[in-house]
Amino acid sequence: MALAAGEVSRLRTTVASLRLAVLQFMADPQWLVPSMIAPVIFGLVSFELFRGAGPYFLTYAILGAGMMSMWGQTLYGSGWATGQDRVFGTLEPTIQSPSPYLYVVLGRILWNIVIGLVGGGIVYGVVVVAAGGPPALPNPALFVVLFLFVMVTLASVGVLFAAAYVYTRYAGFIQNIGEFAFYVGTGCMFPVILLPFWTNPIALLFPPTWALDALRYVSIPGYTGFGWGWQVDLVGAVVSTAVYAGIAGGIFHRVERHVLEVGNLSEY
Amino acid sequence: MALANPTTVPHPQFWRTMWANALLAPRTTLGFMRIDFVLGTVFVIPLTQMVFFAFVVTLGGGGASDVAYVALGNAVATVTYSSVFSVCQTTDSEKQQGTMEHLLVSPAGRFALYFGRGFIPILISLATVTVGLTYAALFFGVTIPVATLPELAVSVVLTAFAMVGFGLLLGGVALYLRTSIILGNIFLFIGLLLSGVNFPLSSLPPVLQWIGDGYPLTWGLAAIRASISGEAFGSLALLWAAVAFSGVVSLGLAMGCWEYFERRALSTGSIARF
Amino acid sequence: MSDDAAIEVRDLVRVFESRKGFLFREVVRTEALKGVNLRVRAGSIFGLLGPNGAGKTTLVKILSTLLLPTSGTAQVLGHDVTRETDWLRPRIGLVLGGERGLYSRINARENLRYFADLYGIPVSERERRITEVLERVDLSSAADRRVEEYSRGMKQKLHIARGILHRPAILFLDEPTIGLDPKSARETRKLVRSLIQDGVTILLTTHYMFEAEELCPELAVLSRGRVVAHDTIPGLRSRVGGDRTIEAEAYGFEDREVDALRALPGVSKVASEEYGPRTRLTLRMRTGVTGVEHVKAALREHPELTIRERRTSVEDVYLDLVEEEAS
Repeated sequence: MALAAGEVSRLRTTVASLRLAVLQFMADPQWLVPSMIAPVIFGLVSFELFRGAGPYFLTYAILGAGMMSMWGQTLYGSGWATGQDRVFGTLEPTIQSPSPYLYVVLGRILWNIVIGLVGGGIVYGVVVVAAGGPPALPNPALFVVLFLFVMVTLASVGVLFAAAYVYTRYAGFIQNIGEFAFYVGTGCMFPVILLPFWTNPIALLFPPTWALDALRYVSIPGYTGFGWGWQVDLVGAVVSTAVYAGIAGGIFHRVERHVLEVGNLSEY
Repeated sequence: MALANPTTVPHPQFWRTMWANALLAPRTTLGFMRIDFVLGTVFVIPLTQMVFFAFVVTLGGGGASDVAYVALGNAVATVTYSSVFSVCQTTDSEKQQGTMEHLLVSPAGRFALYFGRGFIPILISLATVTVGLTYAALFFGVTIPVATLPELAVSVVLTAFAMVGFGLLLGGVALYLRTSIILGNIFLFIGLLLSGVNFPLSSLPPVLQWIGDGYPLTWGLAAIRASISGEAFGSLALLWAAVAFSGVVSLGLAMGCWEYFERRALSTGSIARF
Repeated sequence: MSDDAAIEVRDLVRVFESRKGFLFREVVRTEALKGVNLRVRAGSIFGLLGPNGAGKTTLVKILSTLLLPTSGTAQVLGHDVTRETDWLRPRIGLVLGGERGLYSRINARENLRYFADLYGIPVSERERRITEVLERVDLSSAADRRVEEYSRGMKQKLHIARGILHRPAILFLDEPTIGLDPKSARETRKLVRSLIQDGVTILLTTHYMFEAEELCPELAVLSRGRVVAHDTIPGLRSRVGGDRTIEAEAYGFEDREVDALRALPGVSKVASEEYGPRTRLTLRMRTGVTGVEHVKAALREHPELTIRERRTSVEDVYLDLVEEEAS
């Protein structure tokens, strides 16, 4: 019987992980409820809060609530799935397999992006219904492209969050505590430029900050943001996402090494 | 040693069950295993949540009074993390650790058992709201007259109690579900929309207002706002009664839920599923 | 590493650090392995015995690349478990067993499909391989049921199926029959034996001495993080003083009688235990020197004497070794 070590394919691992995420979601469809309710609530809250934000308040509301909703799915969901691996006791056999865990995480993130986009769509629908009509978008095509790119930037941070869940069983608590700080820091619902100046460099360490600023540039006429235009934002977002993607492999390698050293993989 | 002696079957005592659960729950199922997490919940979450909504309302064209409004609302809403979220999550924890069946097979009184678990969250909730109100007064322009502090204290205590009761209610429902996080999340979000945290309930459609009225946070927040604004004792007492009533009803429903879903989960065999 | 060794462990130490306390965090250090040396021949079933907390699972996790040693070296199939994990992982099968470790909300086939992808089993072979292992562990009829509906025994079988799915060269089985009913346990042992015919090297940890005796020609006993014995079963028997055991019971024995038994040729050890009013003397001895008649003669003053002779079991060996280590 022995042996024949199979060729491990990163793409296949990612697809297998995506498939598993879909199967698990279908096995426990009650997750649909918070996935759908949260965007509706975020949409309504932001619609109420942004009423006085000028002629483009609808766009602010959609972007803000959409980001809140997608953040939950893309970032939180990706880390949480790793936390579930701890609870199920499947983290050990998965880490022990020859596939790099990073690609398992990537598969989950892809699924969470899909759910996040559905949430974004719901937010759009809710706000449009509440307002009685859609917002005026100067450049819809660019908006859609940048919107998808925001998801990619969120995913790049999601990978690092997942690494934190591998690192420690306490990642969920830490994430809960830091959740609103991240909302504030990345300008999820309001431009980061409104924050004190000293916070801006910190905010720019996160790819979603750049991508969101670019998105606001192309969807809100007269938006000034950081003042350097959406093209610079886009370059910043691409570079920072590439940096995140580049260090993700290294970070996962180190985290994996760390958990093998401390031996806490079976703790939950 | 005789293993079976029906004449000396021990009867669990109410206070002992409650106290044992109060002491054990933070380390076993509530997740407050470390002082840094408790401090983070009490000191960090209120501040960041208040800053976030203060900026949002500023961008939305709100003035100083609007900022004060959302700051106060969110200071109180952070109570949800420790009371509702943590408490209802104990059910998940029991299932994951495989202790749920042992708990249900024990003769311990369910009320003492579950209410005991809420004891530490009540204390943490009190601390969270107190810290949140302090932030509101120090950084967000909320005026809290010293003369209103006794009334405010009563409102805060009642709110924490009612919210923990509500958390226990969700924990009861979660007995039947695979996970309680869904419920916890829903009410975390609903609190932001339907409880007058970020804008007055009156700006919402009547149906949503009615839903909001069923949530203890709505009454607790109303009582806290009324206490600070120095409302007449009569109307304040009515709000206190409403908060206490929502807490008692939540607890009563929680007990009913625990009994009903315990039977239901036993009949479907879903008790250990997560 | 010698040519025929599948596992070679030298001076392996593993220290765990945990923190306790709410306000002030105190670091607690636990030495799970204290300089373990071990060698397992390729193509054999090697048994690792030891009481709870002896360090068996820690050793298995280190050898299966799930844990790093604090110091010392470990080689599996000639490759270092800390540095050559990429080479080793596709060639290692690990069965930790238990209620956890499986995706309970999906069925067995989907669980295996997922891990088949993670192990890079060729897509063209995947379904055939899954069907094959499901048949092998007798789970074919339940393959499409959710794992959460499985009994403990079925979960254990699925753990094993996952462990052998990628046809590993070496399989680590951590207490594979724990919690199984006798029939399932027997089937599992049969399965383990059949794997050896396929050329798989197996390292098996167990609490059950009869299981070790039945399956493992070579054993190591781990106690308190140390290997206290490492030998074949006959070797271990002779190590504790003989392959035969005589048990004599009566209402108390005099010291001189015990001394007389000790003086008999071939008797290596006499242990005494109280059983209520009665005392049991256990004698370990080599075959063919002293017999039951000699013991009876030495204890002739006891008309109530009951005596029996049997083969020294692995359990006797194990208990002697663990006792020795503890003292």
